[in-house]
Parts: sequence; structure tokens; C-alpha cells
Amino acid sequence: MSEQSMIHDIGYQRYQGQRLGPRSIFGALYVHGLRAAFGLGRSAKAKIFPWIAVGLIGVIALVIAIARSQGSDDVGYADLPSIASVVVLVFLAIVAPELVSRDLRNNLLPLYFARPVSRAAYAGAKLLSVVSAIWLMMAGPQTLIFAASAFGQGDVFGELRGLLGGWLVAAVYAFVFGGLGVLIASLASRRAFAAGAIAAVFLVTLPVAGVLMSLGNKTLESLAPLASPTMLPEGVREALFPADNMPIGNYGPVYLAAGVLVPALCALQLILRYKKVSL
Amino acid sequence: MNSTIAWITARGLFGRRRFLLLFPLPLIFIGITALAASIDTADEFATPVLVGIGVAVVLPLVALIVGTGVLGSEIDDGTIVHILTKPVPRWKIVLSKMVVASAVTAFVAGGSAFVAGWMTDGPKLGLALAAAMVIGAIAYCSLFLALSVVSRRPVLIGLLYIAIWEGLLSNVVSGTRVLSVQQYVVTLAQKLAGTDLLMSTVKLPAAIIMTVVVTLGGLYLAITRLRSFSVAGETS
Repeated sequence: MSEQSMIHDIGYQRYQGQRLGPRSIFGALYVHGLRAAFGLGRSAKAKIFPWIAVGLIGVIALVIAIARSQGSDDVGYADLPSIASVVVLVFLAIVAPELVSRDLRNNLLPLYFARPVSRAAYAGAKLLSVVSAIWLMMAGPQTLIFAASAFGQGDVFGELRGLLGGWLVAAVYAFVFGGLGVLIASLASRRAFAAGAIAAVFLVTLPVAGVLMSLGNKTLESLAPLASPTMLPEGVREALFPADNMPIGNYGPVYLAAGVLVPALCALQLILRYKKVSL
Repeated sequence: MNSTIAWITARGLFGRRRFLLLFPLPLIFIGITALAASIDTADEFATPVLVGIGVAVVLPLVALIVGTGVLGSEIDDGTIVHILTKPVPRWKIVLSKMVVASAVTAFVAGGSAFVAGWMTDGPKLGLALAAAMVIGAIAYCSLFLALSVVSRRPVLIGLLYIAIWEGLLSNVVSGTRVLSVQQYVVTLAQKLAGTDLLMSTVKLPAAIIMTVVVTLGGLYLAITRLRSFSVAGETS
């Protein structure tokens, strides 16, 4: 339409600035998700729980650091994720629905996908922000242990190797927990039910795997931890750094494969799920 | 007790797809019991299966999903206003919701516990475990129903209670067991069945008194908070 045909000029203006592409949208979604996970940029109420969880894991890290400074080698960097896994699970059950289910509930997906962001990018950004948040929950306190113990005794490189191994184990936990958590949350539009479903999957499989392990069958004992997303990362850790924490027998490669496949399949399923905007 | 409110609540629970969420839990519970019973002896697997899966996971999780759902989802949707503006006493609203929630939880958890207990050690243990689960269902539902009126994040607090208080602390600090519904259920089941397969950790009178206190306390809290309930939007 030309200028002349306008009846009233009420001052609407076209956006003249530079338009950022899909990559920036991905980045914005990721950063917003990561900040929202820790309650940054949200109300004080939303900050209470994430920081209680951070504090709890921080206390665990402090206890480990003190034990190590007393000369105990029983607990190391890679032990922190399994000790903290219950706290991380509750954190996941709150954060994943927060990031995914609310968009479903408030019918925001059509608005998102009206922008030049692909569905895979949306799913990937949400998944990555949950995974990063969980990883930070464990890697941060591990770094605290490192800071407390590396500069006390002197074996900085040995400690550094331990820290990097701990980070790797934390990453396995983060990908398995985050992948499953976001996938489950993306199937429920109500936060409460999504959180309940995530907790149900993780909490019920843990004793099931425990019972299967104790039945006395050697093969079953070695393979049962695969049935529980809480035990699977611990099996992967055993395959990576053998320390007799978990009786995985000769099935190390199976655990390594599962540790890669489970998150990959969850991510794939998540991308397929977002082909549909509704539930 | 108001039959219309109870009917609407039951339809809200059963009418949606999410109700299917409740079925895998008892099925896994029964399946694992059957598998363990076919391989192991009862005194080996009774505690890890019946208590570890049934009492510690199936019962509280079903109660959490149902108990926070009956009133919590109405508060979330804002449809609670329609009920609050009707000339129905608040205690009747809470009681109707409570009856539906307890009945559903008791049916799902108690039914599966009956089957699992029977497979473990005959009908006596099955009946005792089912009865204890029904009592536990009432106590948990009252607790979670109260949470859903008191807080806007009932599932968060309920999960913290189940996973950290009952799951982690009760295993380490024995003092917290007196304040954990899970232990009351175990104690009641053990005394009712008169069996050594289950280990009770609190005394029977303490378990009975505390169950009554938790149930009535939860109901009282829910009713008084619903009396002065203020309608607000979703929290950020």
C-alpha cells in the first residue's frame, strides 16, 4: 500500500535493524533455559529450590573435600554424582517441566515455530539447557573439591586428572538424566504431572534394578543396572574407570554403548515429538 | 461429602490420558514380585520388593500424583472458583476430594500390594499389606491434599519429602523414621501379618497415633487454608 492510502498515521514503524538468524534464536533459547533452571531472571520464589539443591550438593562436596584433606582416598571426584543423584533427580523433575511443559500448557509452540527456528533447534536448545544445568550442578561442586584439595598437598596434576574424570562422569549423568527428563516432560502439559512422571520413572526403576541384581544370576547382576537410568551412568563410570563400584563383569562396552545410545535415542525421540505442536 | 464434587473429581482423574500414568507402577510392582518369587525364597526378597518398591515407591508416588491432582489441578485451572462460590461448606469440598483421592490411591496401591503380598507369603500377608497400604493411602493423600492448598508447588515439596526425607534421611538418621508415613505402613503391615519377613522400625502405638495425627492434621490444614483461599495466577 502506498503512503497516500493511509487514513491515520498512528506511528507504526517497521523494524530497521539487523535481523539475527536461527542460530541466535537457538542461543537465546539455550541461555534463557539455563538461566531459568537456576531461577535467574525469575521471581525470588523460583530461586529458592534450585539454590537449596545447589547448597545441598555443595555441602556434599565440602564433606568430600574435608575427607580427602584428612588423607582418605575412599571418595573422589567421580563419587560425587552418584551421592548427589537423588538431589539432582528432584532438580530435574522440577526444571525439565518448567522449561518444556509450560510452553505446551500456554500454547506457546505455534508462536515459537512462527519464527525462523526449526523444531529440532527448539528441542535441542531445551535439552541442552537442562543437560548443562545438571552438569553444572555436579561439575561446580567437583571444582570446589579440586580447589580445596589441589593446592593443599601439591599433586596438582593428579588432582586435575581426577577432576577431568569427574567432569566426564558428571556429563554422562547429565546426558542420561536430562535426555530422559526432557523427553518425559515434553509429553505432559501440566508441570505437576510431568514432575510426577519423571520421578516415577527414576524412582521405580532404581529398586527394580536393585532386586534384579540381588537375584543371584551372574549375567543378570551385571546387566540389571541398564534397567535403571540412575544406575546406568554408574555402570558407564565403572566401564570408564574400573574401581569395583558396580559388578558389571565383562559388559563394559555394553554400558559405554548404552551411555551414548540412551541420550541419543531420547534426543531423537524428542525431535520427532516436536513434529506435532500439540500433545 | 458432596456427591457432585466427588463425581466431578473422579471424572477429572479418569477422563484424561494422564490417568494411564498410574498403571505401569503397580504392574511393575507385581511383575517384579512374580519374577523374584519364581527365583528366590520369600525371606530374601520380601523387604527389597514389598517395602523397597511397593511401600517406598508405588504408594507415595501414586498418592502424590492423585493427592495433589484432585484439588491442585482445579487451583491451577482456576475452576476451583466455581466450586468455592457454591453454597457448599469448605470442609465438604475437602472431604469429597479426599475421599476420591484416597479411594483411587488405595485401589491402585492396595490392590497391587494384595497380589504381591499373596505371591510372597500367602493371603495373610497379602491382606495385611493391602490393609496397611489403604491406611497409608489415606495418610499420604491427606498430606498431599493439604500441600496442594498450602503451596503453589505441591509436587516439588512432596517429591522432596518422598525422595530426600523418606528415601535418604530415614536410612541414615533413625530419628526421622518417627516422622515418616512409609515407616508407619511397614509397621502396620508387619504387626497385622505377624510375620518376620518385614522389619518394623517404629513402635505400633506410635505408628497408629502418628498416622491419625498426620491424616487429621492434613485435613484440618486443608480445610482452614481453603476457608481463606485467595485466587491468583500461576507462579512464575
